[in-house]
Amino acid sequence: MAAKSIFESFLAAQGYALFEYKGSGVFHPIGEYPKWCQNLWKGALGRDRSIRLSEASPLLENFLIDAEGFWNSNREGSANSPVWIEREPSGREVQLEAAALHVDGKNVLLIRNLASTYAERQKLYQAARDSLLEHERLLREIQKKEILLHCIIHDLSQPLTAMRGCFNLMSLQDLSAELRRMVETGERESNRQEQMIRGILQAFSADLAGQQTASESAPSDADISAAAQRAVQEFSPAFAEKQIKLQLDPVVDLSRDWIIAGDDSRLDRIFGNLLENALRYSPPNTTVTIGLEEKGKQVLASVDDQGPGLPKDQSRDQMFALFAKGKDKPGKAGLGLYFCKITVERWGGTIGAETRTKGGTRLWFRLPHAAKSTRDGARKEPSRGQGVPGAVQQSSTAVTRPRLDKPGRSLRILVAEDTVENRELVSELLKKRGHLVAGVSDGRQALDELEKNHYDVVLMDEQMPKMDGLEATRAIRQKEKSSGKHQLIVALTGNVTEEDKQQRIAAGMDGFVPKPFEMHTLFDTIEFLAAGAQVIPASPMPAPPAAAKGRSAEPATPAQSPASVPIEDVEAHLLRTTGGNEKLAKSLTKSFLADAPKRLAAIRAALAAKNAAKLDITAHALKGSVAIFGSQAAVAAAKNLEAMGRNRDLSGADAQFHALEAAMKQLQAELLAVAPQDKTKTIPRTKTKPPTSRKGSKK
Amino acid sequence: MLEKKICMLGTLAVGKTSLVRRFIEGIYSEGYHTSIGVKVDKKPVREAGQEVKLVLWDIFGEDRFQKVQPSYWRGMFGYLLVVDGTRRNTLDEALGLHQRVLDTGIKVPAILLVNKADLANQWEIGDDRLTQLAQSGWEIMRTSAKTGENVDAAFSRLTLKMLGK
Repeated sequence: MAAKSIFESFLAAQGYALFEYKGSGVFHPIGEYPKWCQNLWKGALGRDRSIRLSEASPLLENFLIDAEGFWNSNREGSANSPVWIEREPSGREVQLEAAALHVDGKNVLLIRNLASTYAERQKLYQAARDSLLEHERLLREIQKKEILLHCIIHDLSQPLTAMRGCFNLMSLQDLSAELRRMVETGERESNRQEQMIRGILQAFSADLAGQQTASESAPSDADISAAAQRAVQEFSPAFAEKQIKLQLDPVVDLSRDWIIAGDDSRLDRIFGNLLENALRYSPPNTTVTIGLEEKGKQVLASVDDQGPGLPKDQSRDQMFALFAKGKDKPGKAGLGLYFCKITVERWGGTIGAETRTKGGTRLWFRLPHAAKSTRDGARKEPSRGQGVPGAVQQSSTAVTRPRLDKPGRSLRILVAEDTVENRELVSELLKKRGHLVAGVSDGRQALDELEKNHYDVVLMDEQMPKMDGLEATRAIRQKEKSSGKHQLIVALTGNVTEEDKQQRIAAGMDGFVPKPFEMHTLFDTIEFLAAGAQVIPASPMPAPPAAAKGRSAEPATPAQSPASVPIEDVEAHLLRTTGGNEKLAKSLTKSFLADAPKRLAAIRAALAAKNAAKLDITAHALKGSVAIFGSQAAVAAAKNLEAMGRNRDLSGADAQFHALEAAMKQLQAELLAVAPQDKTKTIPRTKTKPPTSRKGSKK
Repeated sequence: MLEKKICMLGTLAVGKTSLVRRFIEGIYSEGYHTSIGVKVDKKPVREAGQEVKLVLWDIFGEDRFQKVQPSYWRGMFGYLLVVDGTRRNTLDEALGLHQRVLDTGIKVPAILLVNKADLANQWEIGDDRLTQLAQSGWEIMRTSAKTGENVDAAFSRLTLKMLGK
């Protein structure tokens, strides 16, 4: 008895109250009621010292349901309540927690007054949560500063457009040596300023910097298998530290072609971000595997872990969203996977995540293989503008391309731009280049002007009063449904996100020149697209057949024999087209010689099947590639076949095809003759002043 | 008198306790004082001609130290899901909590309170997101425990919903 008394006294001193459950909500105290207990639940005490605790406190009423469940079970241990707070009649708060136990065959409820420890626990929790909130606050501050930084950078970059344009214009003038030196200094310094701006981004904006530069610089090509191996090498120590094995899937054949359209540094960051995610969620003694698979024209890269898999309530969009963070083991700022998404999508790929059937998570991305011509630093052929998103991609990603020192012909260009300075600047550059330029200040005026006059290209600002560029483009495309023509429309814009690009494609734009623009980018984009859509030299040209009605604005005239069209010296033409870049010329020749038989075969097959639509497409494709080599005979024959296909009239097609074959044979022979030689000769660069240009003409 | 249990749900430091104190006692304390555990308060109100005693369960914000158990929601007639307008992540976490309530089979009236309306210029939760939530069926109120904005109105509105008005 005495021992029991000591035990009870000890419990009371520790703030415990013990009750035995008698059933029907009635409890009997074991030992004396502690004073705090009497203060709190005086009203619930019975004369026989029993107490109905469920009537004493709403929280106990709730907890006793769980406690009864425990007492009626054979479970060991205890059922525990949360900490809860009661208020004494005096207003003083009392912090309690309860546990249901089996003791010596009795159902015992233990309630503890936490007075002695609560303050300490409160202090610890407060400190931990304050730290957590401060951490969150700092992250938000960093994110805000990142965004602010990008806004500032954007504003700083804007004037560079005008500065560069002015220097470009000045450089085309006949300048004294002293003035030329000053212009060159201006050009150099504006370039330096841009580099400094990028440097600031790199230094102060770890992840979003990639987003900015990704929008400005072009993907070239990268070996994704090499990137995967670098990632394994770089991250293995971090994985090993957590007893996780990191490996490149042994089945990956490293001898294969794993070149994708992208660049090494950003590819490394993509793998890095995906691996950081895998590391965060992988338990020890598991393996993370990087896989590579060929999927048609794409490469599928994956990072497989053996962790818990994806949360059921998390969508792919949430996971890759800006500032998205995992719930259980959040990363840094929620930028990593977002960076991966925008980069992969900008390269024309897709990204995703899924729970693997064998358990764990797979993070994956698909990227297109780099085109052979792209790898060699050249684009094989301009793509057809109408309805082909690729045309927009080509110009938007500014794939390394041969730069034209002189336009193939003088183009009629309509510049729709509401800002007077920009309109004048662009117009002046294009005029200096030798093109005929007219300017309007909104989309509505552009539509009116196109009604009155023919233009090869419309350079369209996106944001204009009255009618914006996208709306004007949609109106033009709508009209073309009945006319069958295709107006080349190139956007001149600072909006370079993926969403902007999709909007332009949906509206029907053929390409875009990003602001701040480079003079040569402007020229290249317009002239390449124009060349792809209609490669007609300014000199007397071969005409389409009488029946032909097509996108071309030229009047239909009787078909002319391709054989009568003189063939320009192919070597000279190619060197001129590539600006004297022999490596590029060789690369183009190699690609052309490899592809030409296939293209001819495709046309032959279309004719054999009497498939006019196919003939239209295949002849158009060949026309674009032969134009690069200046073979007017081949261009003319391909153009005639294209027109026949488009007009669904194949009469005389066989003759045109034979003419095309002959012209191609001659072109191939000439190319084979010059291709193996290692030329050092370059053509002199001449100032561009085509005879058809009207200097200073303005509408 | 009818008794109706209301739970205050939401993650850390969104202002659940401050809203209850503003409603019960009409006061507001600056600074963040973390809650440990559950605190139950009662307040009689009269809505639609009916006397109702509201039993307010102010449940701690869940974190790695304290996990909210579904048993706390037992017997509730409605709940206020509280988020901090200045912290975007509190909305995601609140909606996760809401989903857990639904997963237990409890379907009772709820109102989404976007708290800290006094700091509206610092809000990270935009109108677009709230409009989207409203379109998905959420009743949303902007509150401020600091100024008292919409605090009584929120409890009043939930009471009416619990009464089926």
